[in-house]
Amino acid sequence: MASQQVTTRRIAPGLKARIAPTLAVVLGALGLLGVLWQAFGAGFGEKGNVPTFILITLNGLTLAGLLFITASGLTLIFGLLRVTNLAHGALFLLGGYLGLTFIQKGVPWLLAALLAMLATGVVGLVMHQLFLRWNQGQDLRQALITIALSLILADQMLAHFGATPTAIVPPDFLASPTNLGVYSLAYPTFRLAMLVGALVVGLLFWLVIKRTRVGMVMRAGVDDSAMTSALGINVQLVFAGAFFVGSALAGLGGVFAGTSYSLAPGQDQAFLVYALVVVILGGMGSLGGAALGALLYGLVDQYSSAYLPAAYANLSALLTFVLLALVLAVRPTGLFGKTR
Amino acid sequence: MSEHVLQARGLTRRFGGVVAVREVDLEIGQGERRAVLGPNGAGKSSLFNLLAGADTPTAGSIELFGTDVTALGARQRTRMGLSRTFQTSRLLGGLTVEDNLYLAAIGVSGGRFRLLRGSRDAEARKRAVRVAESVGMTDRLGEPAGELSHGEQRQLEIGLALVAEPRLLLLDEPAAGLSRAERQLLTALLLGLERDVTLLIIEHDMDVALTVAERVTMMYEGAVIVEGTPAEIRSNQRVHDLYLGRAHV
Amino acid sequence: MNEGWMSRALSLGGRGALAVVLAVVALVPVLCSTFFTSQVGLTSLSLGIVAVSLTFLSGYGGMVSLAQTALFGVAGLITAKLTVDAGWNGWVAALVGVLAATAVGVLFGAISSGSVGIYFLVITLAFAEITYFFFAAVPTFGAHEGINQAKPPAPLGDPVLHPSAMYYFMLVVSVLVFLGLRYVSRTAFGLALQGVRDDPVRMAALGYNVRLHRTLGFALAAPVAGIAGVLSTWSNTRISAGSISLAVAILVLTAAVIGGLNKLAGAWVGAFVYTICDTYMRGWTDRFATYLGVVFLVIVLVSPGGIVGVLTSAGTWLRRRVGAGDVPGAGTSGRPGPLAEPATPVPVTGGQSA
Repeated sequence: MASQQVTTRRIAPGLKARIAPTLAVVLGALGLLGVLWQAFGAGFGEKGNVPTFILITLNGLTLAGLLFITASGLTLIFGLLRVTNLAHGALFLLGGYLGLTFIQKGVPWLLAALLAMLATGVVGLVMHQLFLRWNQGQDLRQALITIALSLILADQMLAHFGATPTAIVPPDFLASPTNLGVYSLAYPTFRLAMLVGALVVGLLFWLVIKRTRVGMVMRAGVDDSAMTSALGINVQLVFAGAFFVGSALAGLGGVFAGTSYSLAPGQDQAFLVYALVVVILGGMGSLGGAALGALLYGLVDQYSSAYLPAAYANLSALLTFVLLALVLAVRPTGLFGKTR
Repeated sequence: MSEHVLQARGLTRRFGGVVAVREVDLEIGQGERRAVLGPNGAGKSSLFNLLAGADTPTAGSIELFGTDVTALGARQRTRMGLSRTFQTSRLLGGLTVEDNLYLAAIGVSGGRFRLLRGSRDAEARKRAVRVAESVGMTDRLGEPAGELSHGEQRQLEIGLALVAEPRLLLLDEPAAGLSRAERQLLTALLLGLERDVTLLIIEHDMDVALTVAERVTMMYEGAVIVEGTPAEIRSNQRVHDLYLGRAHV
Repeated sequence: MNEGWMSRALSLGGRGALAVVLAVVALVPVLCSTFFTSQVGLTSLSLGIVAVSLTFLSGYGGMVSLAQTALFGVAGLITAKLTVDAGWNGWVAALVGVLAATAVGVLFGAISSGSVGIYFLVITLAFAEITYFFFAAVPTFGAHEGINQAKPPAPLGDPVLHPSAMYYFMLVVSVLVFLGLRYVSRTAFGLALQGVRDDPVRMAALGYNVRLHRTLGFALAAPVAGIAGVLSTWSNTRISAGSISLAVAILVLTAAVIGGLNKLAGAWVGAFVYTICDTYMRGWTDRFATYLGVVFLVIVLVSPGGIVGVLTSAGTWLRRRVGAGDVPGAGTSGRPGPLAEPATPVPVTGGQSA
């Protein structure tokens, strides 16, 4: 964004460059100290706060896993196509509902999740081919198109799946809690599996990015299709593939979320916003950024709802956005975003 | 000798491993007509962006009217009396020709934030109309800039630079894509400029530049290789080898 | 046959149609039921005003903002709080509310002014969410319950049982907002804002501080959104965090897009169409949101100028057909917005050119 560079470069450089980062670091450190004090201040005994701390940390980590899976699809699509798919949340919820439907029809959980992924991937692919492909580059128009599509999808889901929150039953082998071996704590196995799922997705992505030419394009953040063609890549095929995979990941996120939390109208918008915050935190188009963003988001979200003083507990929902504001104040393009 | 309008010392710009501009020294005096020539990729446009403030040099300094402006952006340099044109026209496509010129006029003279229309607007608009006349666009005043033909866009591009009444005018390949007749018009316009305007033309094409310029700076691979009068440049063997030979055979 | 005369007649016809529309709008409280005046009239006027703050930003500034409902909420909730809990005079409370919205707008604008296009959209989305969560969490503003019994000042009467006074007041405010924004669009500031929309690099080269201009443009639209928030609070006698959720922000965007993001009048047209459908379509279909989404989609795909864009092109086409060459010179505001492709010039009479 050349225009941005020209216009933003010289605004109060000294002031902005120093005060904001210092403030952000100080606030972050204070928050962390507060959490640690509450966790370990009462000692390490069975009666202390450490067991709770471990559970809350695990809640944060597993939430981060779910967020990473969802956000990685969004950032993949953005990284390659420069399309911000604001229907990502709708695809997420659709994946969840489809998984639920398959399971209710007797399909085993794993296969149902796979089918739901494929189906949402196809829906995303169709969306891209029908509505987005021909106006590549008109980012705002594409964003509006995806908003319209998300309105339609959300309402159709309401019609077909109702407004009552429902949850997916986890597969048998993940149904019973896992013994953690410390403080005689047990934790839902499925949530741990979610974290493993996120690691697998992350690893696969890492391999693709490091080892393939498509990955090279993504790493370089090339949005010039001429240059991409020069690398011997069929651009349209890559774009279609990215939309398929990105949407399928939204669907997988939905199945995970439906199993560990619940499915209900409104979850689509909620998770769209979470994913957007995660992606912006990390820097749009960066997978490492999405991982770090998800981690920060998950932990801040869980710690703040557990450890904020009671009077301010209801502000915890706000805190993730404060985190976003702090990060953007220091790095306007996110943690791993390219400063262009 | 008159004072320097523009003075660049050791100007260098690297993009990663590529050196686009290599230790360029440039001194331009009051009222001078200077052309910077060179084949494609010689670093002319990179140099131009550094001079106009659209880009920051990796090393070196730039003085404008005796003030160090190395750290200042395009906006501040414009307010000091520098105007530039763009190689590919950058016009305010949704606004009329007159509004384009009007905004260029108040961009340097103040009143940019006025929320009331008044007599001072009329002054700026008069100036806009006057410049439109001088670039031959009087009959296109009400046309949105986005609807103009390529030649007209180039004319307006120069008009936008002139309406600010600059002391230093930087022209980035003003002749690009113009027809023969349009080039003649452009040449006449540039030759007719008052002497209190200093002129720096960056050109790939030599026709217009060598007619208008009194001194020519040749660039090749980011560096200045020779500087002289148009006649000296025409007769320079190295220029022939590097540039003229290829361009005209 | 005199074609110029025909064209003039058509143009007169256009003005006549506008006069008829205005007359009908002015007679709504007389001709229509109390229900229609309050449910459709008041709602579409306040929705129109908040939508026009978005239309102004997007059409003249190239900034498609989702934060307008947040500013709407700041003004509405503060006004309600001050009148209901602190017993302030309604007008003073409204003034404070609108000023607060403006202050927040300056802050939002300053932060987001460095971003363009989709980045801007996403950052303003974050602002919308922050504001929503803030008001949903803070008990002072009633949290999710919101604030009830926020009645308008006495001269405006009871907006539910006798909505005409409120209706006329909001109509006058709408007209003033429209004229004010249209006037601004032709001032030095407004033209420069359009210049920034068209090409920020060029504007910087002409000596403009692009970020400052964007920030001020945002700040200028903030009180408009704030006024809408106050009016909406008064006409519903209540406001809550739910009134400014992301769904509502997207609704406002939808109304603005349907009406036309490039023309100020589009905001009210879209708001009216939306409100009519919202009020009456729900009676015979449960899938109102789907139809709305489809209309939104079709408009974005086919006619980025929205309903107003279609009407203007139709008018132009008709005039061209009847009296070729008799089209008045294009004004300054006929510019397609940020999402339009290069379109045929839309003649706008009354530009200040020449």
